[in-house]
Amino acid sequence: MVIDITDVTPLFTWLLGPEWTEGRLFHPLSLTVFLLLLIAGLLWLVVRLRKGHGSTGRGAAMAIGGGSAAAIVLVALGIIAWKLLLLGKAEEIAWTLPLANFAEGLRNSCFKGLQWLLGSGWHQGALYCWFLVIISAAAAVFVVGGLAAALRRGPIKALETSGRAIGDCALDVVRISPRRVGALAWLAVKESIRRRVVVVFAVFILILLFAGWYLDPGNIDPARLYLNFVLTTTGYLVILLVLFLSSLSLPADIKSRTLHTIVTKPVRSSEVVLGRIAGFTAVATCLLLIMGVISYFFVERGLAHTHEIDADSLKTVEYAVGRPTGRQGVTTLVHEHRHKVVVDPSGNGRVEIEQGHRHELEGDWKELLSKESAGKKYQLGRPEGMLLARVPVYGKLAYRDRKGEPTDKGINVGDEWTYRSYIEGGSLAAAVWTFQGITEERFSDGLPVDMTLGIFRTHKGDIEKGVTGSLLLRNPRAGADVKPTEVQIFESKEFQIDNRLIPREVRTPDGKKVDLFKEFVSDGEVEIWLRCVDMAQYFGVAQADMYLRAHNAPFAWNFAKGYFGIWLLGLLVIALGVLFSTFLSAPVAVLATFGALLGGLFHDFMFRLATHQTYGGGPLESFVRILTQQNVTSEMEPGLRTTLVQTLDQPAKFGLWLLAAVLPDLSRFNVFSKCVAYGFNIPGDTILTYTCRTFAFVLPLFVAAYLCLKNREVAR
Amino acid sequence: MQSEIIIETRNLTKVYRDFWGRQKVRALKALDLEVRRGEIFGLLGPNGSGKTTTIKLLLGLLFPTTGQALVFDRDAREVTKNERIGYLPEESYLYRFLNAEETLDFYGRLFNMSRAVRRQRVADLIEMVGLDWAKRRQLKEYSKGMTRRIGLAQALINDPELIVLDEPTTGLDPIGTREMKDLIIKLRDEGKTVLLCSHLLADVQDVCDRIAILYQGELKEMGRVDSLLKVQDVTEIRVAGLSAIGQEEVKQAIERNNGHVLNIGNPTTTLEDLFLKIIRESEEHPGRRVRGVGEKT
Repeated sequence: MVIDITDVTPLFTWLLGPEWTEGRLFHPLSLTVFLLLLIAGLLWLVVRLRKGHGSTGRGAAMAIGGGSAAAIVLVALGIIAWKLLLLGKAEEIAWTLPLANFAEGLRNSCFKGLQWLLGSGWHQGALYCWFLVIISAAAAVFVVGGLAAALRRGPIKALETSGRAIGDCALDVVRISPRRVGALAWLAVKESIRRRVVVVFAVFILILLFAGWYLDPGNIDPARLYLNFVLTTTGYLVILLVLFLSSLSLPADIKSRTLHTIVTKPVRSSEVVLGRIAGFTAVATCLLLIMGVISYFFVERGLAHTHEIDADSLKTVEYAVGRPTGRQGVTTLVHEHRHKVVVDPSGNGRVEIEQGHRHELEGDWKELLSKESAGKKYQLGRPEGMLLARVPVYGKLAYRDRKGEPTDKGINVGDEWTYRSYIEGGSLAAAVWTFQGITEERFSDGLPVDMTLGIFRTHKGDIEKGVTGSLLLRNPRAGADVKPTEVQIFESKEFQIDNRLIPREVRTPDGKKVDLFKEFVSDGEVEIWLRCVDMAQYFGVAQADMYLRAHNAPFAWNFAKGYFGIWLLGLLVIALGVLFSTFLSAPVAVLATFGALLGGLFHDFMFRLATHQTYGGGPLESFVRILTQQNVTSEMEPGLRTTLVQTLDQPAKFGLWLLAAVLPDLSRFNVFSKCVAYGFNIPGDTILTYTCRTFAFVLPLFVAAYLCLKNREVAR
Repeated sequence: MQSEIIIETRNLTKVYRDFWGRQKVRALKALDLEVRRGEIFGLLGPNGSGKTTTIKLLLGLLFPTTGQALVFDRDAREVTKNERIGYLPEESYLYRFLNAEETLDFYGRLFNMSRAVRRQRVADLIEMVGLDWAKRRQLKEYSKGMTRRIGLAQALINDPELIVLDEPTTGLDPIGTREMKDLIIKLRDEGKTVLLCSHLLADVQDVCDRIAILYQGELKEMGRVDSLLKVQDVTEIRVAGLSAIGQEEVKQAIERNNGHVLNIGNPTTTLEDLFLKIIRESEEHPGRRVRGVGEKT
């Protein structure tokens, strides 16, 4: 609905624009100034309130209560009117446009990559959804509390009570004293020390000391094994520790009545809750810092090794009759593996990748070709490429069928896991990745390609050898009839990342040498084609199976980021534990926190179960199926029993849905440890996303814990 | 001008309910009470009479079922009133893993006191309660008496206007009890208001200006101690150095005036006074003590 007021005065046209959306008032600069003024006003209000004394007065309470009730009624009426009158057909309301433009401007100007937070329109981002959820929850609490108070004391008194509750809540948050919170946090730290936090260290050190018993150094990727081990161990220990600390602390204080001497001081419930959260977070931070440093050195020292090349053991290889020869052999066996060593006739040597790493020779390769090497042993350097933090550039994947025509997906070879799609060998079938942002400055030496391919063999072939594949380049702007240029033939490696470099100088089929960037890259885009050369063999690929490695970030920093992920998870568990401890007894609080942790870890499954996306029905239906030995995939026989069982399952499913909607999805936090273990850099926006996600939960959990404690009689 | 009424309860009632909301016990029934500035007010009553419930309601540890509890003219649930209150609970509920200095410093921080003020206040209070020699020991190593003393120190950390003492002499030896009572009177003399609850009648009688007697959650009696204890139809004359003849003459004079002599004899001192006298003498003259008349008889 647009009201045309532009005829009234040109000032309105200038201010609001002809459609109420494009005027000066909605210019990003005006909106920024307005936002800054709003923030300044809020700050001024906070300062004023902090200086004040006492609780909400009667008049203020009535004003807040009445205002809130009026706002809720108006919003409810507005929603009803919008739904009824417009029947939900209005796709965009005029007044939302300026905000959408503003959000768009913000995203494009200074906060690139914040699509998830601000959304494509202002009302499609996570921030808006979060505000909506918080305000809806607060309104629900206000309505329920207000109705209960109205039944007991009448509507006027109920408005005053509700208004006072909101006012006092705001005052309790605004007037938080850092000194008191600091004192309570210090107490929580002291209490944790008294509860023998050091025992966790002892357990950790003990586990590391005996790690040699169960960590197999002959593993195909020992770095992943070691990193997974330390991150998982630290994660479990710290999460369990903070779970017990946070959920046992307040009930213990209430039981021993030590809390009486605290709450009879001018300490607000918000400060008690915040002090606990801050204290246990400090304990978790210290633990993670120390464990992180120990783990880093444990991994570094555990993986450090070197090999020797016994020059006498190398065989002479004749590449062509009458031409100079090269040498080939293997290194000594260390950590249950050897590396293949190849020295070509011109004296260029290399150590092949094994267990995800290679070594460099501490000396000159040419010496190995000379007679002086006889009887000598050559030392290799430290392992390289083991502890990495790759910064990948992912492309968009498309498929070509065996005739070279575009197709939606490759062949299904019957693999149950449908993550990968397969391309047929010895045909024109190909997997085509289109990469963007490819510049000479970024990839000055060429394109470093990392691949993880799935192999499906229809015949054994030479089982010692990998399946042969080829990499091709094509300019995405070239015409559709331009064929890709083959630049590399390779032998596939299974179960590990294969690193290849497509050099800048590429030889075309007609023998011409061309620069990769001039020939194949247009507007920062390039196509890399993958084909399987061997007949009747297949390569399985998914979008993330090939990427360009832009560079390697410092591993230690990435390792620290991995620990930051555990810290975020710990903070969530602490907030949950403190919340439950404000209204439950110690054992029940521990159980509830543990339940919430489990629920969070199995969040996805819970949600699928609640929304009928899994086989077998709800708990009662599953139980009936077990009793009647009925397959989970077959339909239940229609009838009274089935109807009854499925109807009774509905409340349980609704409960699960509610739980899944309230609980954070904690399983997603393992992206941090996975990235570190698999050797990928954790991107900054991932960290920002998860930090926001954590605090989006911690903040309401803090408010809920504060309200629970405030309304609890601690002396009962 | 500051209000003269420090504590006021109006129709204060507390009903304890079970998990299902059913009434378990009516701990306090429509209590109306006033405590004035600068007095020592005692809450008396047997176990379960509602003394501690009243104190907990006044401190905001419990919420009233009906009625109102006001402290410094503010609702008892309001946190800011605690800035002017010191509370010594029935048992000193302190963190046993802290030492005396840490304990007092911690509670000082809860009053938002600066580091310098806290340091000075902690030193003064530790000296006042005589725990200078044990200030670095964890409270779990303290005796019950020592714990009570540090509990009292924490109650005074903010130099409060109102001091609430729940069974203040519990666990103290006679010397400690006397010191506690002297301290309570000293605090009153400094202009502070003291609310104490106890079932040790002698303690209450010694220090309180006014008392309220509770029984089964109801207020049974309230008033000044001296007027409540005064026996109106008995006259007491205390004389020193009167001979036997003199005693006889006094007796006759009383009978002439239609009086009836209930008892003439030597008064006895209290056991507390005797004990303190012996301890004091023993401190002044160490060694074997010449025993007094009590043993000869």
